[in-house]
Amino acid sequence: MIRIQCISIDYRHVPIDILEKVRISPNAVVSMLTPGSEAYALNTCNRAEIYWTGMEKQGVFNKVSGLIGVTPGYLDRISLYLRGEESVRHLFRVASGLESMVLGEPQILGQVKEAYRVALDEHMVSIVFNKLLHRTFRTAKRIRTETAIGRFPVSVASEAVELACHVFDEIQNSKVLVIGAGEMATIAARRLRDRGVSRITILNRTIDRAKDLAEELDGVALGFNELHDALKASDILITSTGSSKPIITREMMAEIMKKRHYSPVVMIDIALPRDIEPDVRKVYNCYLYDLDSLKEVVARNFAEREKEIARAEEIIEYEVGVFSRWLKGLNAHGTIKDLYSLMEYYIYEQLEEKTSLIGEKEKAILEDALRSMAKRIFNRPVSFIKKNPKLDYIEHTRRIFRLDEDYQDRHKRQQTSAGASRDSNKSNEEYKGRP
Amino acid sequence: MSIITITSLLYICTSVVFIIILPLRKTLLLGAARVLFLASVVSHGILMGKLFLVLHEIPLSSVPQAINMMIFISSVVFIPIVLSRKTYLLGVFFLPFASFALMWVFPNIGLSSLTPFRPHTYWYPLHTMCVIIGEAMFVVAAVTSLVYLVHESIIKKGDFHSSVSSSLPALTLLDRILYMSVLIGFVAITSGMIIGTLWAQSKGLALPKIMPKIVAGGIVWVIFAVCLHQRFAIGWRGRRTAIAALIGFIVMMVLLFLINMLFPHAHGPGLLL
Repeated sequence: MIRIQCISIDYRHVPIDILEKVRISPNAVVSMLTPGSEAYALNTCNRAEIYWTGMEKQGVFNKVSGLIGVTPGYLDRISLYLRGEESVRHLFRVASGLESMVLGEPQILGQVKEAYRVALDEHMVSIVFNKLLHRTFRTAKRIRTETAIGRFPVSVASEAVELACHVFDEIQNSKVLVIGAGEMATIAARRLRDRGVSRITILNRTIDRAKDLAEELDGVALGFNELHDALKASDILITSTGSSKPIITREMMAEIMKKRHYSPVVMIDIALPRDIEPDVRKVYNCYLYDLDSLKEVVARNFAEREKEIARAEEIIEYEVGVFSRWLKGLNAHGTIKDLYSLMEYYIYEQLEEKTSLIGEKEKAILEDALRSMAKRIFNRPVSFIKKNPKLDYIEHTRRIFRLDEDYQDRHKRQQTSAGASRDSNKSNEEYKGRP
Repeated sequence: MSIITITSLLYICTSVVFIIILPLRKTLLLGAARVLFLASVVSHGILMGKLFLVLHEIPLSSVPQAINMMIFISSVVFIPIVLSRKTYLLGVFFLPFASFALMWVFPNIGLSSLTPFRPHTYWYPLHTMCVIIGEAMFVVAAVTSLVYLVHESIIKKGDFHSSVSSSLPALTLLDRILYMSVLIGFVAITSGMIIGTLWAQSKGLALPKIMPKIVAGGIVWVIFAVCLHQRFAIGWRGRRTAIAALIGFIVMMVLLFLINMLFPHAHGPGLLL
């Protein structure tokens, strides 16, 4: 029986400043792998997690504790160990943002995908984890589209973009100025670029960092001495420098706005202490938002999002069920059982179509003939799997016969049909009786 | 059922559906509102045609008729606005106003007792049409200003995730509509004033007789002229233009009623009697 296990170290158990230094490196995970095992490591600023299958719990604990420089006992205290369906559920929750510090934040899915890409490059994942990760992406996507969690972007970056969209009709034509190459400003700038904004200017004290970010965002890098001109030319300003004093004052903005003919400017100050004097919001057509005002909005949105958690959890439970069924069927016994179940479904379907045309006697003859023919056809894949019960053969068989796709449908119909369920039992009993 | 009743009912139904859209935001309802609005404008157009056939002139011979024409032109201008995905919510603010104004105007329009009015000159309908088009554009500007001020206050409070604010057009788009309507309105009203002056001169009308209307028209003209001048000269955009347009519209409506109440023969066909 394949069992997925997980160790999770997150912001709930470890302070953020320590957590930032904890990292389960994919390269180190590769060295842990044993033949037939799979693993997946996820590192973000709020969590470090490893998921694996085919390895002993204690062995992984020892290696991970060595990796992050703590004793296995201490790791046990600061981490969460999950196994089976619990670990699958946890991964689905993480990818959907339900375990994030900012509930429902969208960036985590990108990080989960990036970690999967690394795992693929390092050959850490195979059949089980490929399926698990694709199911994870599907679950996260469903939650974003089917619940309102995605409708209320609560991360500060999303909030900034949302705000700019309320002021500017064609945000893609806006000019964006990012002052400081900090993480939050970078995320906000990335989100603006994703919304089609192409004219992005990065202004930083260290021009090299500005150039790196500008290269990533297809933008322009400028030095701090060009602040005045850059401000005059920008419609959206995102600032997050480490400056101890405000770098943009009311007088400076009043002068710039006059030169801009009071064309509106959205200013997002996500620095602490502030980069922009609060009085700047009094300058005509300056829409200034700092962390305090954004946090208020974020807090208000939390209440709305929490209503959607129950709905998101329903989706997760459904997807965990689908994945668990697939995992349980991922052995010779389960696959052969499903093949016979499929066979019975086809026979039932054929008989149901012809019922009105023939009598009971003919129906029994037809049923015997159909079953006999189907058994001969199904006998080949069944024998093959019995002789070669390898995971990839089993997975291919399941794919060829699409055993996981219409499971719910088939199962439901068979349950509702007394005749079919009798046949199914008969077939299962027949199968159980085989050597 | 008369065309006036049909038009009234259509405008009222459209207003109700638009108001319901605000909290519910159902696509089906929006479709229904758009169809109803188009039907209202078509029906209103038929009514205008009927008035024209009776009068053999553009129906502008009384204040109710002038307001009726103003609402009709505003409704025509609002067609692309209501059909647009980004700006349809402006209809929520315009339709109740239009319905209310028409409810007041229709009983006084006197379709059955109309007497043809023939000024025997093209100057008069041209002057009146220019002024009415200008006023209709100021109606559009006033509605847009109202939406601008509402949306801006929502943004400043940071409450921009509510179902209403997420459907409101972006401030820059509202500002563009506002600017265009004020500009077209100002050009039309200025043309109307020039044509009116030429017409008055050709008729040899005494200045004291038309003075109240000249003063009223002048006040409205100055408000919108200042609004545009400040925009061109020092860049009044957004809130200031919205406030100025709203003030201009309120002053225009107040003066329209005051002048026609206090000096009934100081303007319009009365001058020719």
